[in-house]
Amino acid sequence: MFSTHHTDVGLLYLITSLAFMFMGGALALILRLELFAPGTQVIADSMTYNRIFTVHGTTLIFLFILPSASAFGNYLVPIMVRYKDMAYPKLNAIAFWMIPPAGALIWLGFADFTWYAYPTYSVISAPGPAADMWIFGLKILGVSSILGSINFIVTIMKCKHPDLPLSKMPLLAWAYLTSSLITVVAVPTFAAALLMLLTDRLGASGFFNPLMGGDPIAYQHLFWFTFHPEVYILVIPAIGFMYEIFPRFSRKPIFSHGSGVTAFVLLALVGFASWAHHMYATGMSFTEKTVFMVGTLAAVPASAMHTFNFLATMWGGRIKFSTPIMWAVGGIALFFSAGAGGVVNSAMPLDFITHDSYWVVGHFHLFVMGTILFGTVAFVYYMFPYITGRMYNEMWGKVHFILSFVGTVMVFFTQHILGLFGMPRRIYDYPPFPEWVQMNIIISIGAFIIGISMAIFLANLIYSSAKGKPADMDDPFGLGGKYYFPYQAKTPHTEDGGYH
Amino acid sequence: MSGHSSWPEWVYIGVVVALLCYVGAEAWNIERIIEHVPADAEIIKVTGQQWLWTFEHEDGTKEIGELHLEKGKAYKFEITSIDVIHSFNIHDYVVLLDAVPGRVNTVWFSPTDAGEYEIQCREYCGLIHYNMRGTLIVEDKGA
Amino acid sequence: MKAIIGLGIVLGLLLILPSIQYVLAAGDEPGEYLDRRVEIWGLFYRLMIVAFTIGTVVSGTIVWLVLRFRESNPKAKPTEYEGSGEW
Repeated sequence: MFSTHHTDVGLLYLITSLAFMFMGGALALILRLELFAPGTQVIADSMTYNRIFTVHGTTLIFLFILPSASAFGNYLVPIMVRYKDMAYPKLNAIAFWMIPPAGALIWLGFADFTWYAYPTYSVISAPGPAADMWIFGLKILGVSSILGSINFIVTIMKCKHPDLPLSKMPLLAWAYLTSSLITVVAVPTFAAALLMLLTDRLGASGFFNPLMGGDPIAYQHLFWFTFHPEVYILVIPAIGFMYEIFPRFSRKPIFSHGSGVTAFVLLALVGFASWAHHMYATGMSFTEKTVFMVGTLAAVPASAMHTFNFLATMWGGRIKFSTPIMWAVGGIALFFSAGAGGVVNSAMPLDFITHDSYWVVGHFHLFVMGTILFGTVAFVYYMFPYITGRMYNEMWGKVHFILSFVGTVMVFFTQHILGLFGMPRRIYDYPPFPEWVQMNIIISIGAFIIGISMAIFLANLIYSSAKGKPADMDDPFGLGGKYYFPYQAKTPHTEDGGYH
Repeated sequence: MSGHSSWPEWVYIGVVVALLCYVGAEAWNIERIIEHVPADAEIIKVTGQQWLWTFEHEDGTKEIGELHLEKGKAYKFEITSIDVIHSFNIHDYVVLLDAVPGRVNTVWFSPTDAGEYEIQCREYCGLIHYNMRGTLIVEDKGA
Repeated sequence: MKAIIGLGIVLGLLLILPSIQYVLAAGDEPGEYLDRRVEIWGLFYRLMIVAFTIGTVVSGTIVWLVLRFRESNPKAKPTEYEGSGEW
C-alpha cells in the first residue's frame, strides 16, 4: 500500500478513481430521480439538491478523471520511455496519498456553490464550513496535480532511454507530456484564486467583493484561465488511450504519428487562448468576445486532426471489435458531436440562447462522459489483463458499452434540446411546461440506463479480477500482434536496426 | 505511412478551417448587428437580488416580479445586482445578461408580440435560484 | 465526392442569404427595429445546418469504416503488418 513503485502507485490511483467514479455517478442518479417530474420527489429541499450537484461535478472531475489519467500514467510512462520507475517515485506516492484526504474534505463538507465557486455567492452567501472545506480540498488536489505533472515531465524529458528520440515516443506518452505541461502552467492560477477566495471569505481581503472595492468577474477570469486549459488536460489522456487502442485493434500502425504529436502540442498551446468564452454573458465588450471566439475556433483543427488520424488508421485495417475498440469508436463519434456543439457555442450571439441552460450541460457531458469516460473505460478494459492477469467477461463488456452508448445519447442529446427550450441548469425544480416535463422524463430514463450499465461494469470488474479466466499475456485479445511487447523490451531497437 | 501527413489530411484541415472562418464571420456579423442600440430606447433599470427581480421605468414607476412593457417600442435594460451574481433572462425574446454586483450591464430589445413571457434567473445564486422567476407582460400600444 | 459538392452548395446558400440581409439591414425607427430573436435563432439554424451536414459525413464515414473493415466482413483481408506480427 505504501510502496512507491510506479505500478503500485498506478493501481492505487486506479482503484481510488474508479471508486469515486461510481460515487459521483450515483449522485447523478439521485439528481435525475428528483428531476424526473416537477415537484418534490426524493430530495427534500433545494439546498440538498444544490449540494449534490456541486459534489457530483467536483468528484467526477477532480477525483475521477484526473486521478484515472494519473493511474495509467504511473503504470505506463516509465515503461513507454524504457525507464525503471518514475523520476521521483516518492513524489508520486505523495501525490496519490493527498487524494483521499482531499476527497474526504469535499465529501464531508458537501458544499453547495457549484464546482466553479463563483463569488460573490461563494464569499458572502455560501454556508461554511462546507465552503472552506471544499476550498482546502481543492487546494490539496491542485498541489497533487502539479507534483504528479512535474514527475511526468521529468521522467519523459530526462529519464527516457537515450536511444529513444522524442519523435518515436508513443503518442500516449506525448499525451502525458502535453497534459502535464498544461497543468503546471494553468493550475497555479487557480491556486491563487482559491487563496484569494479564502481570504475574502474570512473578511481579510476584498478581491472579489465589490463592497470592498473588488470585482467578482476577476475570479471568473482566473478560474477559466485555469479551467479552460484544464478541459484539455482532461481530454488529452483519453485521446492518448485511443491512440493505443485504434492501431492495435486495426492491426496496423497509427496513420500519422507526426500529426498526433502536432495536434497535441497545438491543442496545448492554443487551449490557453479561449478561456473567456465561458464568460460571454458577463457583460464583456464586443471586441473581447470576438478575441475569445477566435481563440476558441483556433483549437478545433487540432481535435479534428485526431479524429482524422483515428479514422484513417481504421481504414484498410482488419478490425477485431472487442470491447476496448467498441468503446473507443463510440468515444470518437461522441467526441465529434461534442466538438460540433462546441463550435456552435463559440458563436457569441448564440450564448444568449444557451448560457447556463441544459444545452451547456449536454455539451460538456458529451465531452466528459462521451469522450473521456468512454476512452478511459476502453483503456480499463484493455489494461485489465495487464494489471490482473485475467480476462474480463467479454459479453458483459459489450452489453456495458451498448447500454452506456444508448443512455449517453438519450441523456445528453436531449439535454441540448431542453436547453434550447430554455430550462436553466442547477435548478432543483421546474414549472410544469409540457416540453420540459417530457424531455426530463426521457433524460432520467436514459440516466438510469447508464446506471444499470455501470452496475454491470462494477460486477464485471470485481468478479473477473477474482475469478476471471487467466489471460494469455502475450496476446490476450487474439489480435496477432504483441501486447505491450515493445514496451517490455530492454531497448527500443529492433534487430534490423529500426525502432519498435 | 507513419510519420508524415499526406494530401487528404491537408485538404481535410483546409475544409475545417474554411468552415470555422465561416462560423466566426457569421457570429461576428450578427453580434455587431444586435449590439447596435437605437437612440430612442427607453431605459429600464433591472435589479436582481436573492431571489427576486425588481424594475424601475424611466418615469420612476417601480415594479416587483412583473414588468409591463409596450409592444413595438425599444427598451434598454440596465442590469445590476445588490448581492450575488444573477443572470437576467427572458428566454422567449433571447434576452440574457448577468446581473453582477458592482457593475451595470446593458442589453436592448424590442418586444414584437403582446402576451406574457417568463423571466428567469440563469446564474446559480443559492437556495431559491430555481424559483427566481418573474413575468414580462407586453401590452399593445395605449393599453 | 458527392458529399463535398453537396456541402459546397449548402454553404454557398448559407453565405448568400446573410449577405442579402446585410444589404437590406433593419432600420432604426419604431416598428422597424430588428428582432433579436429572429437574428439569433437564424444564426443558430444556419450553424446547425453546417454542423449536421458535417455530422452526417463524419458519422457516415465511421459507420462505413466499422462495417467494411471489421474482421468478419467477407472482403476482409489481413493487413500488410500481420505477417511480421508487429505494428
